[in-house]
Amino acid sequence: MQQAVGTTRPGAAAVPAKTKQNQGYWKRFGVFYLMMAPALIVLLINNYLPMLGSIIAFKNVNYSVGVLKSPWVGLQNFEYLFNTTDAWKITRNTLAYNAVFIVLNLIVGVAFALMFNAMRSRKLAKFHQTAMFLPYFLSWVVITYLVYGFLNPEIGLLNKTILPAFGVQHPIDWYTEPFYWMFILPIVNTWKGIGYYAVIYLAAIIGIDQEYYEAATIDGASRWRQVWSITLPLIRPVIIVLTLLQIGRIFYADFGLFFQVTRDAGALYDTTLVIDTYVYKGFLVTGDIGMSSAAGMYQAVVGFILVLVSNLIIRRVSKDDALF
Amino acid sequence: MLKKSTPSVARMSLIVALALILSAVLAACGGGKDKGASSSPSASPSASASASESAQPSASASASASASSGAIDPSKLPEYQLKVVWEGPPQKDEKAVEAKINEYLKGKINATVDLAPIDWGQWDNKMNLMIASREAMDVVFTAQWNGHANNVSKGAYLPLNDPNLEAGGEKVGNLLEQYGQDILKTLDPAFLEGAKINGLNYGVPTNKELAAQGGVIYRKDIADELGLTDALDKVQTVADLEPILLTVKEKKPNMIPLFFRDGENFNSHYFVQHDYLGDTNIDGIVKKDGDDPKVISRFDDPVYMDNLRLARKFFQEGLINKDAATTQLGTQDAMKKGNVFMIMSSLKPGKDAEMANAITMPDKLKQINMGPRTVSTGETAGAMLAISATSKDPARAMMFIDLLHSDKYLVNLLNFGIEGEHYVKVSDNVIKAGPKAADYSPGVAWELGNQFLNYTFETEAPDKWDQFKAFNEGAHKSPALGFTFDVTPVKSQAAVITNIRSQYAAALETGSVDPSKADEWKSKEKANGLDTIIAEKQKQLDAFLATKK
Amino acid sequence: MTTIASKRKLAGVHEVSAGANAAFNIFFWIYTALCVVPLILILIVSFTDENTVLVNGYSFFPHKLSLAAFDFLLHDWYNVAFSYGVSIFVTLFGTIVCLALMTLYAYPISRRDFRHRGLFSFIMFFTLLYNAGLVPFYIMYTQYLHLQNTILALMLPYFVQGFFVLILRTFFSNSVPTALLESAKIDGAGEWRIFAQIVLPLSMPVLATVALFCTLNYWNDWFQSLLFINDNKMVSIQFRMYKAMLDLQFLSTNSQAYSAILAANPNFQLPSETVRMAMAVVGIGPIVFVYPYFQRYFIKGLTVGAVKG
Repeated sequence: MQQAVGTTRPGAAAVPAKTKQNQGYWKRFGVFYLMMAPALIVLLINNYLPMLGSIIAFKNVNYSVGVLKSPWVGLQNFEYLFNTTDAWKITRNTLAYNAVFIVLNLIVGVAFALMFNAMRSRKLAKFHQTAMFLPYFLSWVVITYLVYGFLNPEIGLLNKTILPAFGVQHPIDWYTEPFYWMFILPIVNTWKGIGYYAVIYLAAIIGIDQEYYEAATIDGASRWRQVWSITLPLIRPVIIVLTLLQIGRIFYADFGLFFQVTRDAGALYDTTLVIDTYVYKGFLVTGDIGMSSAAGMYQAVVGFILVLVSNLIIRRVSKDDALF
Repeated sequence: MLKKSTPSVARMSLIVALALILSAVLAACGGGKDKGASSSPSASPSASASASESAQPSASASASASASSGAIDPSKLPEYQLKVVWEGPPQKDEKAVEAKINEYLKGKINATVDLAPIDWGQWDNKMNLMIASREAMDVVFTAQWNGHANNVSKGAYLPLNDPNLEAGGEKVGNLLEQYGQDILKTLDPAFLEGAKINGLNYGVPTNKELAAQGGVIYRKDIADELGLTDALDKVQTVADLEPILLTVKEKKPNMIPLFFRDGENFNSHYFVQHDYLGDTNIDGIVKKDGDDPKVISRFDDPVYMDNLRLARKFFQEGLINKDAATTQLGTQDAMKKGNVFMIMSSLKPGKDAEMANAITMPDKLKQINMGPRTVSTGETAGAMLAISATSKDPARAMMFIDLLHSDKYLVNLLNFGIEGEHYVKVSDNVIKAGPKAADYSPGVAWELGNQFLNYTFETEAPDKWDQFKAFNEGAHKSPALGFTFDVTPVKSQAAVITNIRSQYAAALETGSVDPSKADEWKSKEKANGLDTIIAEKQKQLDAFLATKK
Repeated sequence: MTTIASKRKLAGVHEVSAGANAAFNIFFWIYTALCVVPLILILIVSFTDENTVLVNGYSFFPHKLSLAAFDFLLHDWYNVAFSYGVSIFVTLFGTIVCLALMTLYAYPISRRDFRHRGLFSFIMFFTLLYNAGLVPFYIMYTQYLHLQNTILALMLPYFVQGFFVLILRTFFSNSVPTALLESAKIDGAGEWRIFAQIVLPLSMPVLATVALFCTLNYWNDWFQSLLFINDNKMVSIQFRMYKAMLDLQFLSTNSQAYSAILAANPNFQLPSETVRMAMAVVGIGPIVFVYPYFQRYFIKGLTVGAVKG
């Protein structure tokens, strides 16, 4: 990494070689530190200094004496997380939904990409891609409005128009029945995000050298066979990276989806409460920052472990594809 | 071109640069603590200055109410801005009223105010955030039913009658005694007694009616139009309401016959007579209208369960707003919208007229009192003004609160606006809406100071305050009056129970889901420490009652 | 890097049968409809008469149209316009600063001859793995930095995103030929000049992509407004929409429209449903207009990043 000695200037013989190199190094690369400084400060503020605040999870904070002087209470703030019937539920919800999302993103994303690739009309494919990508740009607030337009129990499109057309007379009270949300949430999430994944997979597919297909066609392989044996294996690295990144976030739920779209309806909590919304409620509604910090820490630590473990597994399977 | 400087200098300069960056950040952290939100030119509270002032005879010239005690010489006090936070919708003409208040206040206590109301839907969230962020504020609305005890245990408010109180490193002493003499003189001792936590007061209760009675408020004009007036006058129970509401639904399909929301339905504490001994989120109640100090779960009260069934029936008949379980609209604001016929409400004499004027619909509302009159800590401590622990001048804050309890001009200015613009005087103490009434009508007089000083609207009974006194007399005292539950021993369980409640309460009590869900809720509570909480509540209550004997 | 278009010409090798093609087309027409139709519904409802909506429900074919909802919003346009201003400012300014900070960080760590490349890469990417959580973050911003009620609080949280720095770094190290850098250095150019005049111009596609992602982050954000903005004026437009969904009062408190209308017509009832939808239209509008132009760059940039990274 160090520049070769050949770059030293004449007349430097009096100074030892190493310091000369160092000097040269700082002269050359000092500016890099300057470049990185602003972003480092931001990181410090946003990410690293708050890590010190994790001690809140172990204290019973009294505002009049301040955080530092508040009494330590060990793991007491974590009790409510684990001693409750809800602890299991929020963990289950978070993991289950994310797992479903990952699988759907993969299958639907690859499927869409394959189909786009196979379509004859270039222009039509482009047009559909554009439309498919639109939901990605909408915010969760907007999507809440859209979903509300369908699910409003009295006057939404589903209850008023579509269901009666199918002969279902009794309107479903969408915002108080937890069951349906097991399907609504994945559908909405996929609808919003699939544009992103489909495009990435499509780009990867297009990057595959045509010669493989030509050779395969000559050998008489069917289109299906080609997809199975050429396309999929060759985009495997992309699939793995994307999936790994998602697994790393498997303990983090998309707050907008679970909080906004469900309109934070209490009756739905059985199937819609996830760790993020639980932390949020603990903080903003109850105001107990010790407990909600504990929940946040639980999430961060387990999430971290999961990333490490999944990366380790990938390393075993195919070393090159691992994140680190 | 080679620098003659030693390599260590280059390295040093880099280290210095990094150190500068680091110290800049640390300075922001540490020094930042001193940057307050409101202006406070003097570093230390003026406690020492004003302590000697309070003994001097009154020097203020402006008209104040009869009970103003020996007071404060404003010229000896440094200027200070008080941030006043209460729960209610922000008003358009706030700045104008603020300016008027400041004119007056400077002459009294050399202070200005920054009025900062927070609307109903955001109050809980914002309050928690502001407390967590140690936002500098001075006078804050609080209520026993709104997390008062919780906030006290977090150290968010200052004790007002603690002789050893210190603030900003200086001894401040008993604020109530020093600067709150008017409060002590005018407020029924039951209020302060009933609001104590561990022997200390952390808020000054509003001087208002002491008792509460549950009931409904409805649109009189619509009722008259539909010919329902007689039927409404005969209503005694909830079941009586049904045919009336059905008629409203039939004849006025665009109106919501009965507006419910979380906390405002047949099972509101004021309607079903549940004394929650503090935080209404934590199960474990004592019946206010009885004499038994036994703490039971809400599910063990047959009235509660009946109300669930009734609510469900009404909901299925379409009499209740479909978004009852999720709406964040307050009942008063719902009525203001114009398409609501009836809401639940905690009542006192003249509440209907008071509300009607507050939402600029004079004379359109009427109330029906249903159920017994009771007094519980929820009422005595149901509306208080606390002094935030982040206040830089608690003495001044107390002075302001004292003025709200004694200064007629100030109280009415804050509550009704500027004479001639927002209201017009009909006689000495009676007013009516002015040309710009809609621009300033906070409608929360019950939160701010001494209600007995308020003007009455011409649509209200002129002897409103006498009616209040009569209302208070003969009200049934809750067996737990004066007691507030300290949640610290069962903090974890309480947090869980609160979370569980948020899953079920709104949907169940508004009738949005089938009452059978209540069984699920109950078993969940039991599985998560309900019995422990009830036992603790009973234990503390028994100890409290023993001291009263 | 060959474009998608040119690759397409070679695709004849694995085109599918006409039948399959038709099937795909039909499928995608349906899917496209599913993507676009909900937005159209919102639009139509916002132009529907409130009473019709209350009685007949949301519908694509309303019995009666009305401009009342927009009329109401227009009377009270100030709050909405202010929020728009806030959102636009935050998005523009935030994105620019975002790009500046992240590219300045990504460049040094992309240079293989930088001694501490590994360390600083780790510092950046560790933040992707572990996050202290909401509470410490909130306390940091409010108790120590006193950023509540400031516009900075809406921008600062998103200034540096590890994921984008990763994309930038990958692009810089793979697509900027070291030979180019070498020759620049030999010519005596300092790092700043190299960065500004060589690296950046070469990176336009990825810069555009990251810029678009940042823009999206800022424009769609509502959470920071919830946390940090106490007065109801300086909130982002998304937050205003969010609040309007739950509590239409949020639109009508302090509303000149409301008082004026009430004064004129005491029987006025707030057209809640349609005003909500009108609010949504106002909020979505710009995105839908701008989208067709930008999605091209978005897709292009994404594919570049994906294939390389």
